[in-house]
Amino acid sequence: MMQPVLSRRNALGVFGLAGLAATAGCGSSVGGGDNGGGSSSGGGGAIKVGLIVPQDGVYTPLGVDMKNAWDLYLDQHDGMLGGYEVETIVADEGEGPDTGVPAIQGLITRDNVDVLVGIVNSASALGSAEAIAAAKKVLVIANAGANAVTGDARNPYIWRASFNNAQAAFAMGEYLAGQQPEGGVYLMAPDYAAGQETFVAFKESYVGGGGTIAGEALTPFGTTQDFQPFLSAIPGSGAGATFVFYSGGEAVSFVQQYASLGLKDSVPLYGSGFLTEGSVLEAQGEAAVGIQTALHYSTEIENPANSEFVEAYQGAYDVLPTCFAVQTWDAALVLDLALAETEDLTGDSVSAALEGLGEISDSPRGPWSFDGQSPKHIEYLREVQEGDGGLINVVVEELGEYGQ
Amino acid sequence: MTEWFADNFVSILNGLAIGSLLFILAVGLSLVFGMMDVLNLGHGALYLIGAYVGYQFTGGVSSWSGFLTALAVAAVFGAVAGLILSVATQPLVGRGHLDQALLTLGVALVVAEVISIIFGDDVQNVVAPPGLNESIQVFGNTYPAYRLALIGVGAVLAIIVWLVIEKTSLGALIRASVSDREMVSAVGVDNRKVKAGVFAFGSMLAAVAGVLGGPVYGARTGLDETVLLLALVVIVIGGLGSVRGALIGALVIGQVESLGKALYPDFASFMLFGALALVLIVRPRGLFGSRVGAG
Amino acid sequence: MSVDPAPSTVDETAARTSGTATPTGSARRRVPLAGLIALAVLILLAAVPLFVAPFQTSMLARMLIFALLAVSLDLLVGITGLPSLGHAAYFGIGAYTAGLVAKYWTAAAPIPLIAAVVVAAFAAVATGWLAVRSHGVFFLMLTLAIGELIQQLAESWSGVTGGDNGLSGIPAVEVAGEPLSLVGYVYWYVLFFAVLGFTVIWAVSRSPFGAALRGIRDNEPRMRSLGYSPFRYKLAGFTLAGAIAGLAGGLFASQQFALVTPADLGFTTSALALLAVAVGGAGSLWGPAIGAAVVVLIRDVYGPDLDGHGTLVLGIVFIVAVYSLRNGLAGLTTTRFRRRGPPADAAPAPPRDNEATTPDPTTPDPTQATSAVPPTGGLPANRQEGHGVDQGSKGPGTDDPPRHADDPGERRS
Repeated sequence: MMQPVLSRRNALGVFGLAGLAATAGCGSSVGGGDNGGGSSSGGGGAIKVGLIVPQDGVYTPLGVDMKNAWDLYLDQHDGMLGGYEVETIVADEGEGPDTGVPAIQGLITRDNVDVLVGIVNSASALGSAEAIAAAKKVLVIANAGANAVTGDARNPYIWRASFNNAQAAFAMGEYLAGQQPEGGVYLMAPDYAAGQETFVAFKESYVGGGGTIAGEALTPFGTTQDFQPFLSAIPGSGAGATFVFYSGGEAVSFVQQYASLGLKDSVPLYGSGFLTEGSVLEAQGEAAVGIQTALHYSTEIENPANSEFVEAYQGAYDVLPTCFAVQTWDAALVLDLALAETEDLTGDSVSAALEGLGEISDSPRGPWSFDGQSPKHIEYLREVQEGDGGLINVVVEELGEYGQ
Repeated sequence: MTEWFADNFVSILNGLAIGSLLFILAVGLSLVFGMMDVLNLGHGALYLIGAYVGYQFTGGVSSWSGFLTALAVAAVFGAVAGLILSVATQPLVGRGHLDQALLTLGVALVVAEVISIIFGDDVQNVVAPPGLNESIQVFGNTYPAYRLALIGVGAVLAIIVWLVIEKTSLGALIRASVSDREMVSAVGVDNRKVKAGVFAFGSMLAAVAGVLGGPVYGARTGLDETVLLLALVVIVIGGLGSVRGALIGALVIGQVESLGKALYPDFASFMLFGALALVLIVRPRGLFGSRVGAG
Repeated sequence: MSVDPAPSTVDETAARTSGTATPTGSARRRVPLAGLIALAVLILLAAVPLFVAPFQTSMLARMLIFALLAVSLDLLVGITGLPSLGHAAYFGIGAYTAGLVAKYWTAAAPIPLIAAVVVAAFAAVATGWLAVRSHGVFFLMLTLAIGELIQQLAESWSGVTGGDNGLSGIPAVEVAGEPLSLVGYVYWYVLFFAVLGFTVIWAVSRSPFGAALRGIRDNEPRMRSLGYSPFRYKLAGFTLAGAIAGLAGGLFASQQFALVTPADLGFTTSALALLAVAVGGAGSLWGPAIGAAVVVLIRDVYGPDLDGHGTLVLGIVFIVAVYSLRNGLAGLTTTRFRRRGPPADAAPAPPRDNEATTPDPTTPDPTQATSAVPPTGGLPANRQEGHGVDQGSKGPGTDDPPRHADDPGERRS
């Protein structure tokens, strides 16, 4: 009787090698070089940009928006950024860091990109921070909002053209502190980094401004489809308003259930803008009307850059843009501005050029500038109302400028 | 006491609604396993098919015709899928249960991906038909009418299934197969047909549950895994192969998911699998599993 | 490989339970060949960093790590007969432990790895003590529950684990005071310990302990009657499997710029490992390593090019493999030398050839399928080795939880 012998595993282990060899370049992993090889040489030529967006899983709709905006910008600028001709390599971030981090590393080491743009999931951003620093490539984040990315865990190569989780919550906290809802505010958010950071920021401005918290609940992240058990605590808490952070599928379920459990009319709902942004608004339908949120963007912002942007985006893709699209558009914009100032494409020069940018005046979201390595921009108070083609986020007022 | 009850009334009611949905979902899984020892890990994918069928035919609009059409189509799709699965696992019968279970897992992966290719990854909404699309007052609490209807549907279905299983000859055949498959085939009944029938029936229920669950859970990628895990917990707690067990298990888990989370929100994430682990350690055969044989 | 005439029943039983019997001639002929192949492949693997680009080298390191996980799962599934859907929990525990040790205490090899193995083993013994009392599908569910709970713990205990953001900033492994900075060096580090892990499992599987595990897998009541304590053996097997999974996890955390997230502990990883075992061929140990390579290849290497639908290909590959590869990829090497009769062939045959006598949980003797009772209610349909040996029909007093409602507890299949 044959004992399974280790040998044959090894023999067929060659299959794995063969598969790799097929995809491999030849090259050495120990001689001389470390991760990544040279990038394309600098000075008015070509640049390889790695665009990392979700193309599979729950974040795909965001990925679609982001890629659309990127393509649109290049389209409108003859495929050039700052005088360099752009070659875009798209990689799929997937749903989480277990797919996102390898994808980013692939872009760096296998595809030898010069610059990285994108990333929805903060965990992927944090997880690749070291690799990016070691490779000295600039990353311009087009979504991932964890405070630490440009805070505690920052390095000179990671820049952000999107937002950080605290901003919208902090802005809303200040606003509600001014509104003084009777009975205080009830807080809800999913139990992960973004939700937790939202809580902290909101409390900082709201409680700091004299408000009271009627109650709070952090719901299990990603696994909660039914919010009823948590929502049923709200009437009993006596809260005069609810503030939440939810996005994507959870936002849809939450808003619908908030309405169907009768809370919509009795306890006004406020949120970070993601609650009613993009395709979720469509799915929420009637249940979303009247919700007020704070965000750094709305399609209804009145400035020339935004009107042009919205029109172009709609013309090209037949849907309204979202904040995710604007964030990526702005990433392209800042790269365009920065690359025009650099002599070469090394991470250090690009980073220095980004630092040298002053106010970004041409952005659809309004004027903004870098505070550290993350945007300091205007937060808008928006309200969901019926528009011409469907539901839109109408700008009620500007809440002010917020940095990190 | 009554005050506690009043405070938590909505949660308890919700637990019944979720429980009803889970029963419809899980009873097929339990029967198939009880009869054929096949753990159909594709059960969640069947639910997903139903959910997207529901989305496709209602299109985010409240309509009875859309909803009923969706139910009918889902039932057909589900039954057919069940037959296919039954046929697909047949060649593996001699090879053991792990292989059959893993086959269904492979099928589940493929189905979920195909759905994501066809429908995209957006989160979709299924609207309840008119009349049920609103909230009504129950003892001073606002509650969605649709979920109340769901409780009703679940109850009716439970009665029907019970009648069939307990009172008809088909039901006797099913019970006999659960007990002793060889004996049944020795008596001259073609096991494969019974298996196909049960598979088709169970899968049909799963797909129908997908449509019925639309207004509660919507249609989105990843729902199949969530739902599968819920169903597995239900049938293990209730006892494999037992319809009664599926009902009680579903009601229990429905309450765990609603009342449990409302009472202990800090432990909400741990409750489902904590309950499963507890039952498996203390009473592995579940509440209504076989009486015979030591655990 | 020749097909020797069937040895006598008694010899065979003894052979099977000791797990080492081979028709004598072939054994000696085969072993040197096997050894040579092993050596050749090892040299090839070791030479990789000299010729292969960094990205591919790091992918290969990932394959090795996942292969180690799959093989440790095979120890549990294929050899001990305990199908687990929660094995990734020990992998994750090992990864977090190694990461935390490296980050906050010392990155000097092999301390993080040792810590990983110890903590994972401890977790395995603590949870296994509860889990191995069940059988079959109950065991499967219980391991699933345990795995999910541990994953949830990793997500909630964010102060320690970093929660959903994961544990990052893990310093590079230090060998003799020097951090390993090049991908190739890290690869060699991983290769060394992965081979070590494989060897341990292989040695265990060939040892009397491994034979006892197989015996328990195939016929627990009989083993008990022979004086073995199934519980202790199964627990030991479970712990060892968990410890090796922890080793794999520790290696995972030793990669460059490693990130450990709760997803690494979860159901998806466990399911993928189980898939790897099934595709590779449960019980063969080396098959699952190949299966793991296939899974990583499809998901991480080719996946991004498939528009993110790598899982679809994986599912299809898997379905194909389940149908056409009866023993997984490992079966490929044996099917050529064996003529399988049609299933349900009436002859209660002595082993049709000697390959078939390898207790292989995925290929029960079809002649036994409808007549005998699987001795343990395990999900891998256990080999019916009944050649005149009492197969331990499920008589009264068996301690398998019956799988069916209203099961009279007597003969059934």
